[in-house]
Amino acid sequence: MKILVAVKRVVDYNVKVRAKADGSGVETANVKMSMNPFDEIAIEEAVRLQEAGKAKEIVAVSLGVAACQDTIRTALAMGADRGILVETDAELQPLAVAKLLKAVVEKEQPDLLILGKQAIDDDANQTGQMLAALLGWSQGTFASKVEIGAGEINVTREVDGGLETVAVKLPAVITTDLRLNEPRFVKLPNIMKAKKKPLAVLKPDELGVDVAPRLVTLKVQEPPKRQAGIKVDTVAILVDKLRNEAHVI
Amino acid sequence: MPVCSSEPVPARPNANGLKTMPHSNEPAVLLDGIRAFIDPAHVRIDPDSGLNYGRDWTRLYTPNPLAVVLPGSVDQAQQLVRYANDHRLALVPSGGRTGLSGAAVACQGEIVVSLERMNQILEFDPVDRSVTCQAGVVTEAVQNFARDHGLYYPVDFASRGSSQIGGNIATNAGGIKVIRYGLTRNWITGLKVITGRGDLLELNRGLIKNASGYDLRHLFIGSEGTLGLIVEATLQLTRPLREPVVMVLGVPDLDSLMSLYHVFRNKLELSAFEFFSETALRYVLKKGLHRPFDVATPYYVLIEFDNLEQLHTDTALALFEQCAEQGWLADGVISQSESQAKELWRLREDISESIAEYQPYKNDLAVRISRAPAFLAEADALLTREYPDFEVLWYGHIGDGNLHINILKPAELDPAAFITKCGAVSEHLFGVLQQYGGSISAEHGVGLTKKPYLNYTRNETEISYLRAIKQVFDPNGVMNPGKIFDSHNDA
Repeated sequence: MKILVAVKRVVDYNVKVRAKADGSGVETANVKMSMNPFDEIAIEEAVRLQEAGKAKEIVAVSLGVAACQDTIRTALAMGADRGILVETDAELQPLAVAKLLKAVVEKEQPDLLILGKQAIDDDANQTGQMLAALLGWSQGTFASKVEIGAGEINVTREVDGGLETVAVKLPAVITTDLRLNEPRFVKLPNIMKAKKKPLAVLKPDELGVDVAPRLVTLKVQEPPKRQAGIKVDTVAILVDKLRNEAHVI
Repeated sequence: MPVCSSEPVPARPNANGLKTMPHSNEPAVLLDGIRAFIDPAHVRIDPDSGLNYGRDWTRLYTPNPLAVVLPGSVDQAQQLVRYANDHRLALVPSGGRTGLSGAAVACQGEIVVSLERMNQILEFDPVDRSVTCQAGVVTEAVQNFARDHGLYYPVDFASRGSSQIGGNIATNAGGIKVIRYGLTRNWITGLKVITGRGDLLELNRGLIKNASGYDLRHLFIGSEGTLGLIVEATLQLTRPLREPVVMVLGVPDLDSLMSLYHVFRNKLELSAFEFFSETALRYVLKKGLHRPFDVATPYYVLIEFDNLEQLHTDTALALFEQCAEQGWLADGVISQSESQAKELWRLREDISESIAEYQPYKNDLAVRISRAPAFLAEADALLTREYPDFEVLWYGHIGDGNLHINILKPAELDPAAFITKCGAVSEHLFGVLQQYGGSISAEHGVGLTKKPYLNYTRNETEISYLRAIKQVFDPNGVMNPGKIFDSHNDA
């Protein structure tokens, strides 16, 4: 089985994100960028499948600026076999990403796609679903467990009130939830090896995809500052405040 | 549990030769006097407050303070010290109570002075890159404040979320970034203190250079509350690390550890070089963390450097290859994101907490960096030989010669018997340490736990100077009596 995993370069999870002063977006200049954490989980899952003898080749794909190569190199160091960068400076929205990935899928012919359920920068949670629809493939989203069977994959999903397991036929799209696995650390020798693994660079034009944005961002602003809490001396005062100030009881 | 083994609350003639003024020694009356200048709500005598504020992280002593007083201003703090002089009351300054040497323990009827209400950041100066704050500000709050202003306060350690700046200064706190940034002492440009006499002194006023006589500021840094109360501080800030990258390497032996230190330090500006043993790692893993890599090695080092440009990561990779060829390391991982950097740090930082339930006997030793492996090997051999039934964990800031040794209490051993036995261990260990010219406390301070061993690091003549200095600042012995050393009146 050949697995294709999409990895996105996003503002590092630990960075305190700030809105740009003009409200046009989030400040990314001089900000640490890393792989989207859900995509780390996607790569980890693919590598585990390969280590278990269930997958033959893992291809890591990233879309965006040239620096996305760093993200692909991380994926290669974690265990992916080769990388593809679809390089563009354009803003990529989920539909364009899904179309680009569809074009890459048509070139690469993988059996399974693993994507993060969402990226932590835009929280869109759309790409996996759109891509499955465009390809006409089965989809198992929000996966917390993946079991490969014959021609079929059991995907356990965390839903309200419990777990739901769906059987999806290959080829399929799986999107990863937080509890699917814990990604490994990258071993230093593997970084050396990753430098020698092939990384192809394509352009959206070569894939015949129009990536022009369809949505317009009106404004990005920071959430209102939280008011500092207070300490109350007695339970009676607390109850009074909850009743008469907060109006929650 | 042992109680404090020092002198009772002093009731002696003061420096002017006057007898203690005639007064009722009734605690209630004494406390009423304090309530005259500090809001009675902040003069606490309930047992919970006493237990909570009367100790630090050590659990060797039974807290027994007369009261816990929380002044709300410099003026109130000063009145309190003067009142203590008038009535011969002993004061125990208290910060975040994360100390590990018992310096903030009140177990003989003292008054605990908590500055936690004095927790305001007073002034920020972007040109000086300095921040002035009250002593009760939590370390992490200063770090966050600096970060919000694009700067960095580099004194950092695992208890950052509880410890307070005043306590950091009183212990000259070190931590995990000393190799690059030095100790708390390096970052204090001004102090406002109330001496044990009750005088308010403004020391150094934020100056970088000041060659006008003795720098009293530095006496208060590391004084463990024995000279006076630190009430305000001006801290220097610096440029933050741009992109800290963390590596954890598996190391086969101590000599390799030093080779790695030498090689990596020559080529990269390291902001941390920490080590821990496989035995220590096992306790962290029990708490749910994962092994950084499959191979288990006797020791691990955690190296942090600032990836100012890609070049530095490339250098680190080249050094890794070079050291692997030499057999100095077995395997290693490198962080790919800040989250991973933090996760890797947890392997080292969580050790202390993960072994807390085993009531470890802690020592915090310092030797010159170059002598660390030899000392460690000799000390480890000694412990294995003399105390085969003790589990000994080593970890620490080996990049600055600071080794933390933790001996876990065997489950079947009674705590008191364990402590007695560990006292014997200390004698043994400090004997070796003395041969290496080391210190019995690198950064935790002497407090109560190390007091019996001060002479391993400081000779009698030197200690007599320490006592004389104490006498100048605190002639009536009201400030944290019985900590570091017994004052000369009682010695």
